[in-house]
Amino acid sequence: MKEILLQTEKLSKSFSSGGILQHVLKNIDLQLYKGDFTVIMGASGAGKSTLLYALSGMDFPTLGTIAFADKTISNRNPDELAVFRREHCGFVFQQIYLIDGMSVMDNVLSAGLLVSKDKKSVVKRARELFEDVGISEETLKKFPTQISGGEAQRVGIVRALINSPEILFADEPTGALNSQTGKDVLDTLTKFNGQGQSIVMVTHDMRSARRGNRILYLKDGAVLGECELGKYVHGDRARHEKLSAFLGEMGW
Amino acid sequence: MRKWIYQGILLLAFAAELAALFLFAGEDAVRRQDAVAVNEALQSVQDDWEKMKEHKNQTGLDYVVIDANGAVCFRTREGLGESVNDAVLNRDTILDVASGKKIVGKLLISNDSNYIWKEQKRAAAMILAAAVCVQWMACIGYGIYLKRTVIKPFEDLKGFAERVAGGNLDVPLAMDRHNCFGVFTESFDLMRAELKKARIAEARANASKKELVAQLSHDIKTPVASIKAAAEVGAALAGEARIRSNYAQIISKADEVNILITNLFTSALEELEELKVMPADLESRELTALLERADYLHRARIPAVPSCLLFADRLRLQQVFDNIFANSYKYANTEIETAICRRDGTLDVTIRDYGGGVSAEELPALKEKFRRGSNAGQVEGAGLGLYICDYFMKQMHGEIILCNGQDGLEVTVRIPLSGVS
Repeated sequence: MKEILLQTEKLSKSFSSGGILQHVLKNIDLQLYKGDFTVIMGASGAGKSTLLYALSGMDFPTLGTIAFADKTISNRNPDELAVFRREHCGFVFQQIYLIDGMSVMDNVLSAGLLVSKDKKSVVKRARELFEDVGISEETLKKFPTQISGGEAQRVGIVRALINSPEILFADEPTGALNSQTGKDVLDTLTKFNGQGQSIVMVTHDMRSARRGNRILYLKDGAVLGECELGKYVHGDRARHEKLSAFLGEMGW
Repeated sequence: MRKWIYQGILLLAFAAELAALFLFAGEDAVRRQDAVAVNEALQSVQDDWEKMKEHKNQTGLDYVVIDANGAVCFRTREGLGESVNDAVLNRDTILDVASGKKIVGKLLISNDSNYIWKEQKRAAAMILAAAVCVQWMACIGYGIYLKRTVIKPFEDLKGFAERVAGGNLDVPLAMDRHNCFGVFTESFDLMRAELKKARIAEARANASKKELVAQLSHDIKTPVASIKAAAEVGAALAGEARIRSNYAQIISKADEVNILITNLFTSALEELEELKVMPADLESRELTALLERADYLHRARIPAVPSCLLFADRLRLQQVFDNIFANSYKYANTEIETAICRRDGTLDVTIRDYGGGVSAEELPALKEKFRRGSNAGQVEGAGLGLYICDYFMKQMHGEIILCNGQDGLEVTVRIPLSGVS
């Protein structure tokens, strides 16, 4: 029996634009499990990123509740949510948002030292993670403008994982990368998931989606269907076929 | 283009017939004999007289040579006249064959004018027959062409006119721009299109008027009921008989207005196919206001509404609640209890009273048009309220469920949640 990490009940999110209320998420009942690599797919405008931001406490739901490890987070104030995000969540974005004026190592340490005051252990953890993602010792001293896009995204992943979050949220992490560097980043995410890291990733790229063990398909703000890929081995043709069939069924 | 082809073929066939006739008439009935050939034939026979067996015809004429005794010495082919008598009967040319100064025989040159005449007749007949055949084929083709281009458009026009007269304006008149009637048929089809537009506009205007009447009359019923209720409260509290009488007057007039509105609504609804229901996303917290507005006598305690997004038409939902509360006021006149419960795909709003309900047999029929419960008694009504509410909820993919509770009727309004199929 899988342990529920994040749970929503009738989650709805609306935006007002020009006096017109747009309901982007509609009555979403969802359970995200510990250790899963959950991929959220859907066409543009389906509400994928809105769902990700609501789940991660970066935005407030209009209606419904969100509970993280049985504790409701949707009723918390912005400060409490900031603490929640810092302690429990890691974020990887399409735009990596590294600070140009800081070295690669300092970028990661700036996030790590927000939670822990023990610089030694943070540096140790950072070095371990850099080694895991294949960033060399020399690169750590470089500035973000001196490294490639793929390296920058891997640094972003290290920064997201420096505080050992219980869940990692990734919003189109390979969207701005070329084919090979995108694959490297996905390999990195797959590797961390293999080590037990829970990941929720939004993508509309089928190649990225294949890395997930659970695929949710969003349409018009509601979960239209889901597909379980966990029993198929990574890179197996059957995994690809299963996902293709599911997406075809969803009208993707 | 095709018309010109057919006409050209016909003219050519006529020309061929005339040419054949003129040629036949202009030919000499009997061709003149070729004198040179005759002389050559005679000369060759005379030259070869002594050895006629070796004689060869070099002129192309058909002839027979006989000696003085009438015996045949030479013939070009069988079947020719072989005596002077035969030659005379056949109008053949008879020449004496002389050897020295002595007549030794006769040269009978066959007259072939009959044969030529027959050949000419046969040729003329063949040409005429061919021309007539071509003419017939051209006539048949032209007939088909005329049927298709002239008669059929008229037949279509006849069917079209019958359809238009019968009120069917949906079927267009087929047009062929290459046809000489194309413009003609196009103007008829334009007429049909304009008629259709006018009819749709008329139907829309009528429907819109009826809908407006139906909607207004339905909407007016709620404030009229409020006026009546307020007047009833006023009458109960009034001390003076004169004031009570005034309130009674208001109550009576409110009843009168209500009956008139019901009649108006009924007549508008009879022809009105449907009232527009436009469901959209609606936050569940708005239900509280809708229920409070419907419960204008404040007999119900509205519970907290579970947070969710509904898929409903706010105006129609208000009308549904208005009707359910008004029914409860009219028929039960007791306290009202409301309960709101979220299920998998719906939000259920249950409104129950303590008026004893209706019999189990009558329950299913209550949502039918013009059906009222046997306990309606003298209470005015048309039996349309629940019918319309049911229609509204079905249009929103929800439903109304009627059942008897412990002490009264229980009406559950099942509202679908947005995004939940």
